[in-house]
Amino acid sequence: MEFNRRQGLAAAGGLAMGATLPAGEASAQTRAETLRYVTGNTVNSLDPSVPGSTRESFGLSMNVYDRLAAFGRKRLGDNWVFDHNEIRGELAERIDRSPDGRTFTFHIRQGATWHDGTPVTAEDVKWSLDRAVSARSLAPPQMSTGSITSPDQFRIAGPRVVEMMVERPDRLALSNMCVPYAIMINSTLAKRHATTDDPWALNWLKDNSAAGGAYIVEQHRPGTQTILRRNDNWRGGEQPGFRRVIVQTVPEVATRANLVERGDADLSIDLQPSDVAALAQRGRVKVVSVPQTNGFTHISMNNTMAPFDDVKVRQAIAAALPYQDMFQAALFSRGRALFGADWTTTPPNSDFPQPMPLHTNLERARELLRESGHPNGFSTTFTIGTGVSAWAEPMAALMKESLARININVDIRKLPDAQFNTGQAERTLPFYTEGGTAWLPAPDYFFRLYFTRPQRWNFASFNNEEINALTREAQFETDAARYDAACKRMIEILAAEVPLILAWQPLHEAVMARNVDGYTYWFYRQADFRDLKRV
Amino acid sequence: MSEIAAPAPRGGKWGAVGRRVGVRLLSAVPALFGVLVFTFLLMRVLPGDPAVFFAAGANAGQAEIDIVREQMGLDRPMHEQLVRYLWDITRGNLGNSMTTGQPVRTDLVERLPASLELTFSALLLALSLALPLGIVAALRPGTLVDHVVRFLCTLGVCVPTFVSGLLLIYVFYYLLAWAPDPTGRLDIFAATPPEITGFLLVDFALVRDWEGWRAAAGQLILPASTMALFVLAPLARMTRASMLAVLGSDFVRTAKSLGLSHWRIIVVYALRNALLPVLTISGIVFSTMLGANVLVEKVFSWPGVASYALDALLASDYAPVQGFVLLMATIFVMVNLLIDILYGVADPRASVA
Repeated sequence: MEFNRRQGLAAAGGLAMGATLPAGEASAQTRAETLRYVTGNTVNSLDPSVPGSTRESFGLSMNVYDRLAAFGRKRLGDNWVFDHNEIRGELAERIDRSPDGRTFTFHIRQGATWHDGTPVTAEDVKWSLDRAVSARSLAPPQMSTGSITSPDQFRIAGPRVVEMMVERPDRLALSNMCVPYAIMINSTLAKRHATTDDPWALNWLKDNSAAGGAYIVEQHRPGTQTILRRNDNWRGGEQPGFRRVIVQTVPEVATRANLVERGDADLSIDLQPSDVAALAQRGRVKVVSVPQTNGFTHISMNNTMAPFDDVKVRQAIAAALPYQDMFQAALFSRGRALFGADWTTTPPNSDFPQPMPLHTNLERARELLRESGHPNGFSTTFTIGTGVSAWAEPMAALMKESLARININVDIRKLPDAQFNTGQAERTLPFYTEGGTAWLPAPDYFFRLYFTRPQRWNFASFNNEEINALTREAQFETDAARYDAACKRMIEILAAEVPLILAWQPLHEAVMARNVDGYTYWFYRQADFRDLKRV
Repeated sequence: MSEIAAPAPRGGKWGAVGRRVGVRLLSAVPALFGVLVFTFLLMRVLPGDPAVFFAAGANAGQAEIDIVREQMGLDRPMHEQLVRYLWDITRGNLGNSMTTGQPVRTDLVERLPASLELTFSALLLALSLALPLGIVAALRPGTLVDHVVRFLCTLGVCVPTFVSGLLLIYVFYYLLAWAPDPTGRLDIFAATPPEITGFLLVDFALVRDWEGWRAAAGQLILPASTMALFVLAPLARMTRASMLAVLGSDFVRTAKSLGLSHWRIIVVYALRNALLPVLTISGIVFSTMLGANVLVEKVFSWPGVASYALDALLASDYAPVQGFVLLMATIFVMVNLLIDILYGVADPRASVA
């Protein structure tokens, strides 16, 4: 035990890589080729589809596991963002889609291997897909949004060829092959650890990986740190820039900011907006700020609960909120506003979320409230979860003040997150705020997920026959013009009915060392280490 | 406490102590059982459904909530859950944590040494400061020295640990760069020692890796100082009060009149007698620190049991919280027992009752 400690790691790394570099050279190399990522959350499962997995687990799994397909990325200003309209093969080197749009043929990449060196077979892919629709995990409900529900839909069509069939040409069938849950698993290895109670090896895969992705899990200590080593045999994309990635949990947000600024850590994405603003100003780090194109912050009213079941009351509230001040207080305006649009009935395009015609007009709010039969206002409770209180509290205080001017008395209630989620799922909260992100940012998916059916993510418990019908049709609409028209119509209804108020899209802010390049905003709001390199 | 010990039975003095320790441990069982059942019920009475919280993935609906509920065993009636829980405990199974995805026992075994190491270091540091300060203050009551000590203690107890912790980090890490980055027990790029006791300082010393030992100690200094500052007050004040009482007693006056040297009187006669209440308070301080150092653990990313329990509590994750409370209760029993034994060393009249 006489070696230098930093060399210790290099030595361990060297051994693992089967290389014998001189110790000094290796240690210099190691720090530059290592990405130290600090986060406030923890990786609690290596399999992202295990119930209870954190967002951090989703992000990690993208680096460790391959999927059949992956979204591309595109430039947005100076930054990279994901592009859900461009889908490329990842483990599949080619994806054919039949003319009727109902059959997808995946050709597995020639020479693709798992981390243990064994070749990827069609049987592995079939097993992984079967698992995604059969296991008692988070995957089946997600897959069902792309009409993928049964193992019968997958067929081995030859060596290294697997087919997927859907009953109707679902617009999102292929997109669902790109989401974190759609991992491709080394089935030989996984089956060895399957039991009769757990035929899909959920328990084993929670703490172990049977993967073939760009990084290999070298050490996994849930709640503390996870260390990844680059898989040099990976062919699913460009070779990642970092040989080694350390994912470390640092609960204190100020410490994370300090670490990156002092150069001891290379990347952090979950800092406070106020800290990010200060860091950007001091200029010792690089700040990448991208509007979360698939996310939104909403102020929800329970449409099944009086007085919010009255559209006039909802419109009154929408007219009474001090949007600009709230945006400034909550996020220092670091985001994209979804209020203040100047269209009135028809939106200019079918993008969603897009700015809605929401304006502060207290006169109009008072009038609407009178028309709704509440000339003297009413009292209600506005709930926020502790997890979002940093931005929600200042926002709520401004709302309370503004609503008091039209005689609506708001009581602000702060609940621990578990309690808040329970209230939300049981739909007992009359009026509350939270954020949401749709993995697949297609407008019809947004509406289907957030504005239909009595389910948890229908935040406002909205039930509009026309939207219900439109989402059912749009899912399988192959004609672009008709799809566009349907989406515009849904946005119109939303603007008229205001089941909830879409306030803004927060910025996704990543703070990193100045020499780290290539950061990309992904739909699951985590860093993909494969994009990054030191320049 | 100060009763006369019964005549020593067979087995001699140590046999008697051993038997008493056994009796004390046995008598702690009902208390532990009570704590167990109480925590179990308390967690379930608290609002917030863990299943809903953990089934929070995109598109997770009622079906997923039910899966998690079943996984956590919450779909069964409460009395059945309790019986199963008790049965599991007797086999050493504390359940699984949803937050980390690991068995609670594994988590606690891995994290307890971190908390203990931090708490021991902080307590040692606090005692090494508090005893001299308390003694000096007691020797010169009402003078400037006394006031300075009082001021220091008040300051320590007034500033919340997360404030002093962040302040120390800001000054010694961010501004001066004297301290290593405040992220856990060891520099992330350093090699860890072989797991022998789980106490890094001990493990490094055992394998004679002194560089590693210095690194681990470096990581420990700031959090330990933060905690020591916070508990300085009770220890120093207790030392001072106790010393004052002893210094004014007859035997000290006698010793003085016999012309014994000043230091001999203070260290040998006064201090030994004054230590008894300090010992008691140290035990209490130790137990409190172990549970209450959650803020320090959070600020310094210390992978200890308290921050673990807090995370679990916020997520309504039952098993880790129950496991933590049980562990704390056990430690409390142990510490009290140890203090009672130490009593006997400091004052032979006291016995392990």
